[in-house]
Parts: sequence; structure tokens; C-alpha cells
Amino acid sequence: MAYSTSGIAGLAFAALTAVFLPVLVGSQWVLIFTSTACFALAAAGIGLMYARLNMVSLTQVGLMGVGGWVTLRMNHGLGLPFEFNLLAAGVVTAAFGMLLALPALRMRGLYLALITLMSAGGIEIVLSTFRFPNGGEGFWGVMPSVAAPFRRPVLAIEDGAYLRYAIVVSTLGMLLIELHRRGAPGRAWAMIRRSEAAAMASGVNVTLYKAWAFALSGLLAGLAGGLLAGSIGLLDAATFRAPESIMLFALAVVGGAGSWPGAVIAAILYRVLPALFNDWGLNPDLALVIFGAALLHAIMTAPEGIAGQIRAALPRWAK
Amino acid sequence: MQKHIQSVSAYVVLMAAIMTALTWAMPAKIVGLFVVSGLAVGSLYALGGIGLVVLYRATGVLNLGAGAIGAFSVMLAWQLDVRGWPAPLTWLAAIGVATGLSLIYGRLIAPRLAWRDPVVKAVATLGLALIVLGVTAFLWEDDVRKFSLPTDEVGVTILGLRVTVTRLIVACAAVAIVVGISLFLAWTRVGLQMRSLANDRDLSALLGVPILRVETQAWGIAGAIAGFTGLMFGDLVRLEPTIITFLVIPCIAAAICGRLHSLGLVLVGGLSIGVIESLMTLSPTFKSVRSMAPFVIAALVLMWMQRGRRPLFAGDQ
Amino acid sequence: MKRLLVLGLAVLGAATLSGTAAAQDKPRCGAGNGTAATGAPIKVGGIFGNAAPGDFSSATDAAKAFFDCVNASGGIHGRPVQYMIENDQWNPELAGQAASKLVRDEGVVAMVGNASFVEMSVNAPLYARENIMAMASGCAVSECFESSSIVSTNQGPLASSVGAAIYAVEELGAKNISCIGLAIPSVGNWSCGAVEEYMASKGLAGSSVLLNPAAPDVNSGLLEAIASGADTMLVNLPAGLAIAVLGSAKEQDIRDTYKWISSTPLYDRSVPGALGEYWDGAMFVNAELTPFDGTGPDNVHWLSVMDAYAKAEDPRDTFSQAGYLSAKFFTQMLEAMDPGDIDVRAKVTAAIKAIAGYRSDLICGPYYVGEVDRHMPNHAGTMVKVSGAGFEVVRECYEYEGPYFAPLIEAEKKFGLR
Repeated sequence: MAYSTSGIAGLAFAALTAVFLPVLVGSQWVLIFTSTACFALAAAGIGLMYARLNMVSLTQVGLMGVGGWVTLRMNHGLGLPFEFNLLAAGVVTAAFGMLLALPALRMRGLYLALITLMSAGGIEIVLSTFRFPNGGEGFWGVMPSVAAPFRRPVLAIEDGAYLRYAIVVSTLGMLLIELHRRGAPGRAWAMIRRSEAAAMASGVNVTLYKAWAFALSGLLAGLAGGLLAGSIGLLDAATFRAPESIMLFALAVVGGAGSWPGAVIAAILYRVLPALFNDWGLNPDLALVIFGAALLHAIMTAPEGIAGQIRAALPRWAK
Repeated sequence: MQKHIQSVSAYVVLMAAIMTALTWAMPAKIVGLFVVSGLAVGSLYALGGIGLVVLYRATGVLNLGAGAIGAFSVMLAWQLDVRGWPAPLTWLAAIGVATGLSLIYGRLIAPRLAWRDPVVKAVATLGLALIVLGVTAFLWEDDVRKFSLPTDEVGVTILGLRVTVTRLIVACAAVAIVVGISLFLAWTRVGLQMRSLANDRDLSALLGVPILRVETQAWGIAGAIAGFTGLMFGDLVRLEPTIITFLVIPCIAAAICGRLHSLGLVLVGGLSIGVIESLMTLSPTFKSVRSMAPFVIAALVLMWMQRGRRPLFAGDQ
Repeated sequence: MKRLLVLGLAVLGAATLSGTAAAQDKPRCGAGNGTAATGAPIKVGGIFGNAAPGDFSSATDAAKAFFDCVNASGGIHGRPVQYMIENDQWNPELAGQAASKLVRDEGVVAMVGNASFVEMSVNAPLYARENIMAMASGCAVSECFESSSIVSTNQGPLASSVGAAIYAVEELGAKNISCIGLAIPSVGNWSCGAVEEYMASKGLAGSSVLLNPAAPDVNSGLLEAIASGADTMLVNLPAGLAIAVLGSAKEQDIRDTYKWISSTPLYDRSVPGALGEYWDGAMFVNAELTPFDGTGPDNVHWLSVMDAYAKAEDPRDTFSQAGYLSAKFFTQMLEAMDPGDIDVRAKVTAAIKAIAGYRSDLICGPYYVGEVDRHMPNHAGTMVKVSGAGFEVVRECYEYEGPYFAPLIEAEKKFGLR
């Protein structure tokens, strides 16, 4: 496998942040960056579908909720270690994404976006009605008192170590995307994006590879949701409302879909910028105005988002 | 056409079946109450959906910011009312501001995206939604507020349920807009131009349809409808900007029932969603998740629409 | 930065006030000697929620006003309180981050005035782990009351709803109550469930109707309540949603068909205006703390502290009273401590847990903490009625009963409070 500058830069970025962030920042910012790492992984899933297949997914944060639900359900129901719970969250959410793909396979463009939006609306209602398991009895596992303890990975009990853990998992997720992009799925996606008819004529199984993209994006969302559950130890339905999915999609476009810096920038805008606003005493509503303006700007003039603009500004050797 | 009739009848049969299942062995009096209550909610969904489709048909833009524009305008009407403005003036101001906001976007930003995919145009209106919502939430911090219209005080009883004149206005407005816009599209020159734009933008441009002027008119009409819808939501749902802004999502569900095209079907779709949502209250199993009704029905409609379609050469749908 | 800004504004406000000859009227707080406190500040934290579903900031605003007043009046053992406030915006991640910042990074000795829907559920384990107490003021979810490290001056939806139900049964002759609550297990199901248990314990009927917080349609919920055969409607919702439900009821013109009662969220100055004339005299609301126009010394002092140290637009509501009270009790507790111990978190936590029998005219019963898994010291309230543009007291302090309160009363006997 060839190593691209961007790939090496990505690994270096992940290594540097994993080593230095937990040491340099206070415990509040450790938690903020942990959330950022989770949402970067989810945003990478959005970017994958949007940049590779032109598919707009407006339900990614809802899928994170599904992953988080599975993680919490497993944590409180079975005595398995965190890694198993996280993996189960990824697999179940990937299956959920596939299920969503079935009706969506014949749709594209606006209608595909709309069916994912409807799914986001549905997930929001289910999660806000039944809530997340916190150690109670029964299938939904909800009890009125303080949540039962959450078992973090053995290697990452403390917040700082957990931030490193989240960065590592996110990096692995993005490497998985890269692996796909360079393999058969990536070539198939490229053909499908250009013309489904041409792809089909040259023997590409369009249905399979589109469903595959949905599953991969769902897997990443599930992992991200599971990681987020581990960061806080419990989850609240308000995190996964349909408007949040819309927002994360918008920011993925602003950051730049289809590259790792784009996903990281999206997550930084989503979680770090509001935290800074909070620290500076600025009204968080103003962040919405900035996001909106940035989205319009990105759509009209910067198709590759902020990440693309940064790349364009870099010297040639760094590209 | 035959396929179209088939779809509509399939929809009607399905909705009737769900309604029968939900109301099985229930006393007629109770069912009547819930049906009327559902129609009242459904007409709100329909009104919102119709506003979306009017614009979509003429410009190809599904305006996700319509809810935010409505929220801003009803908050403004409330503010002016508190300042002591005469009520009719506050309503006019609200509708005027909504029209203005819509025109600003339609004139300044929409033309620059005219040749992009419908989905990109829809995503861009998210930017509008975020900006308007951010400004609204910034200007009016969260507080207990109530917006009411004089028509709330008067009501009639239908099947045992009292319905205020405001709700009747919503239902009548929805029907009137459907009829009015349909006539407008069928009989006026601008209507003809809008239809031709909706059919094929490139060809219309070649034929000399003044695209910008026609689209600006569509944005103006859609803005006025959004402002009116905002006033109705503020009165009948709640005066909370975030809630009104994101009511656009169930309204999209109603619009989907009309395939983003047929205003009459949007009306039918919105009303049937409202009735089913309300009737779900009668089922102990489903009552806690009854707000899912719009999304489930819209997803079913989408799946039905796609049946039998081959994936290739499928156009944008 | 925000703090600096607020501080700056406070100084500015104080300067203007002193210019208008109000300086000598300024209220005094705590046992200080009257000259502004100097020396190393005592760090105290507070978390409130303010975003779309509601604004709970009035609790921390009032606590801040009280601490500012304490600092101006000489501080605690001569030292000022540095009160740091964070907004969780109803977001569990932000709530966790805020607590981490205050408890770990800033090393506050206690949390005071917390008011939120989500903060307590997220942070209760952290507070227990770090051995810190939260003297909260705005608990709204079950987790907040069922934790060993949180104690609140307010009652929350459960106690307040049961209180309203008791009034309806004893004085309005209610036989069948339908409790309309939020479809959130730790809020609506929990509190309406306790109302049903209370009704069952009296041999009467009760039922719950749960509404989704974002649902546009409240009408069918109301119809469901009607279909339950109830004679009394208990509205147990945040103010915005409650007003929507009552709007629907007005539309149906069923005010006189049922008795209408509500938990505390409707006890707010702007509510009678938002409800309109229709509900005048027909809406009975439970007040968790004593009425905000009361004449008790603490109530009068609370208002004067707010006038002198808070912004004019900060609400003077139940949460504001609760925030003031938490700050006052906290100050009282610190003043009784050995000055050498007040920077040691473990000692402060132990002292808070030892609080027993603090009293104030803002609450009906005694305030106590204790080493227990469940804290709800405030479970006696007042009943008011919407009357004109305000409220009118219809029942003075009365204690709540029912299965939920039995263990609390047992605990109080153990503390010698009964």
C-alpha cells in the first residue's frame, strides 16, 4: 500500500493529539476533546457517503444514538468488557444502516436525504420515549435512580486515558474508510458515483456496494455512539435529536467531506467552538448563525470545505 | 395516470385500514373526538407541507428554513403586540417580514445555486434555517410566552369536539391555497412559466422564460405562506422558536405524501397523518410513540413510490 | 471572561446604585463585619441549564446575588466567596465537562445552586467519587433526589404533584385524578406514578397521560385524560407545554367540567398573563417554596438582595428563592465551621452532611442533609390559585403524605427532627 502525505499527516496528527492533549489540557477540555473525537468518527461516515457516493445522510447522529443504546444495554445487561460492547454497537448499528439502505437503494438525491431525515425523526421519538438503559430491569433497562456504574476499557479508566482510547478508535475507523477507498469498494463507488448505468454495465454490483457504504457509515456511527456512552457513562436523548443530525451533516460539508481533516474540522466546529463560546461568555445561539453562514459559504464557493481551502493554501510538497 | 390512480387508491386503502385497526370496537363518540382532533393537527402539517411544495414546484428548492422564517415572524408579531401595536398590523408585519426574508434568500443566494442538485439546494436552505433560528433564539431568550388570535375565542362543535375559528382558518387556508395555487398555475402566464420551470429548467430558459422574475415571485408567495404558517403554529402549537423551526420535519412528511408535487395529495397526506397520530392515542401499545406517525407514513410512501423502479437512469428521484 | 464581564457589570451596577444614595439601604448577608471581604477566595461552583426547553438560570443568579452580598458584607470568616457558574445547555456532555472543570480543574469545595434537567443524572457519580456535595436548588429528575451527594431546596415534580393532588382530594373533593406529565421515565412516569400511588393509598383512582416534549399535538393527550374518566386534571409539565395544554382545554371550554391543579412550573409571575382571563380563579397551583410575595424575613431579604445585587431582568421566581436559600444555608454552614477547614473539601462535605434542622420562612419544614441515599428535605408546600394578574394563597404550609414520603419521615425521626 502506498503512503500518501495526507495519510501520514493524519497518523502523525492522531499520534500527537493522543500523546499530548491529555497532558496539556485540563479535565474539562479532556472531556470536550473526547466528544470531539467521537463526532469526528461519525462525521467521517457522513463524509464517506457524501463524497464517494453523493448520498446525503441526515440520520448519522440518530445512528450514534442506536450505537450508544446498544453499548449501554450490553454494559448493564451482561458482564462483558467494553470492547465487546463497542463492537456489538458497531455491528448492530451497521445492520441498522443496511436496513435503512434497503428502501433507500433505489432512491438518490433529495428523496434519499428525505428518507434518512424521516428515520432521524423516528429514532428521536423512540429514544426520547424509552430513554437509554441505566441499569434498570427489563428490555429498556431504565430505572429512576442514579445510573449503575459504566465499565470503561481496562486500559482507559481515567478520563485522560479514555481520550487517548477514543482517538485511537477514531483513527482506526478512518483507516478502515481509507482501506475501503483503496480497495474494490472504492473503485466500485467511484464508478457508481459517475454513472450507475455504466457501473452496472461493467459488472459492478451496485446494490451491494451502495448497501456496503450504508453499513460502513452505520458502523462508524455505532462506534462513535458507543465511545460517547463510555465518555459520560450514560446518554440522554437530547443529544441525538433529528436537528443534531442535520447540524452534523451541515458541518461535515463545511469542514470538507471525504477527507480526514474535514471530519476533524466538522467535529471541532460542532463541539469545541460552542465550548469556547461558553468560556468566552458569548451566547451559544450565535454559534448557530456562524454555522449557517459557513454552510452557505461552503456550498456556494468551497465545495471541498475548509479542509479543501487549507489544502489549497499548502505548499505543493505537502499535498 | 393509471399508475397514479393506483398509488392514490393504495394510499387511501392503507390509511383506512390503519384507522379501522386503531378504532376497532371503540365507541363512535370517542372516535369522533379523536378524528376531529387529528384533522385539526393534520391541517397544520398540511399547511406547512403545502408551503414547501409551492416553492419546490416552482424553483426546485425544498426550503428547510421555512419553519425558522415562520418562527421569527410569529416572535416578531408577539413582540409588536407587547409593544402595543394594533393586532392586524402585527400580523401584517409578520407576514411581510417572512416574505422579505424569503425574498432575500431567493434573490441573493438561491440563483447562485440554481444549477445544482435539488439535494444541494435543500442543504443550502439549512444554512438559512440555522442563521434565522440563531438570530431568533438570540433576540428572544427562553421565556413563558403566549401568542393568541381573537379567533381563538370563538368556536363551533364538530362531532362533540369544540373547534376554534383559528383551526377552521388553518383548514380553510390549506384548502384555499391548494385551489388558489392550482388555478394560478393552470390559468395565469406566470403559472404557466412556473410549471415549465418545474418541468425542465434548461428548456424553459432556452424558450425565454424570465427565470429570475418567476422564481422571485415564487419565493415571495412561499415566504408569505411561511409567515402565515408561523402565526398559526405560534398560536396553536406553542410560542417556542425551536419547536416551530423543526416542525418543518413533520411538514416535510406531509409534503412527501404528495410526492413533493401534488398540492391536493399533500393536503390528504397531512390530514391522514394527523388523524392516525391522534387515533394512535387509543392504542395502549402505540400511544407513547404516536409522534412517529408522520415519519413512518412518509417512509412507507417513499418506499411505495420507488417500487418497481430500476436503479439506473432513475433521474433525481 | 464571562465571570469578568459579570463582575464588571456588578461593579458598574454597584457604582450606579451607590451614586443614587441607595448605598446605605443595601442588605447585609452573613455574619460579616460590613466591610468588603478580602483575602483568598473560597471557591464554590454552580451549574444551571439554559437552552430551548427552559431557563433554570434564576437559581444560580440568586445564589450569585447572595454570595455577592456576602462578599460586600464582610465574607465568610473574612474571606470572599468566588462563585463560578456554568451552563449545561441541557446537554449531558456539557454538564459533564462543566462539572469536571469546576470540581477537578478549579477544585471547588462544594456545588451550590445547581438547577438543571440533566446535570444531576450525569454528575452524581462524579460528585460521589470526588466526595463533594451539591446543595442544589432546581432538581427536576428522579436521579437528583435519589443520590447520596445531592440535596436540593426545591421539591421537584414528584413532591409538588403529590402536594397538588393532596389539596385536590382534601379540599376540592377529587376522586379520580389524571396526571398529565412528560413522557420521560425519570420525570413524568416517576412523578405521575407517585400520584397514582397516593390515590391508590387513599382508595381513589388515578391515571397518567404522558406527552412527548416536542410533540406539536397536545389535544389528543388532553382527550386521553378526559377519556380516563377523571374529575380532576393535574398538569405536571414545564410551563410552555402546560400553557399549550391549558390552551387546548380552553378551546374545548372544559374549565368548569373538571378541577384543575398543577405542579410548581405554573407558579411563575408571567403565567397568569399568558393563561389569560379564562383561567382566573380556576387554576390551583402547588408552590414548592413559600409564595414569592411573602412577608417572612427571609423572603423580604431575598427580594432586597435580588434588587441590590442581581440584574433587574433576572426572574424572582421559585428557583430564585431556592437558589438564594441554598446559598444562605451554605454560608450559614461555613460560618459554623473552623476557619482552617473551609478549604478542605472532605471537611466541607462532612459539615454539609451534618446539617440538620436549618429553618427558613421560605420553606415549610426543616432543612437537613444526612448520610443517606435519598434527599428530599423539602416536602411540605403551599397551594395558590391564579387570581387576576397574580396568585392568591388558598392553603398555607401543609405536609405531603403518601408511600413515597414514608422513608423520608423515618429518616427525619432518626435525626430528631420530629
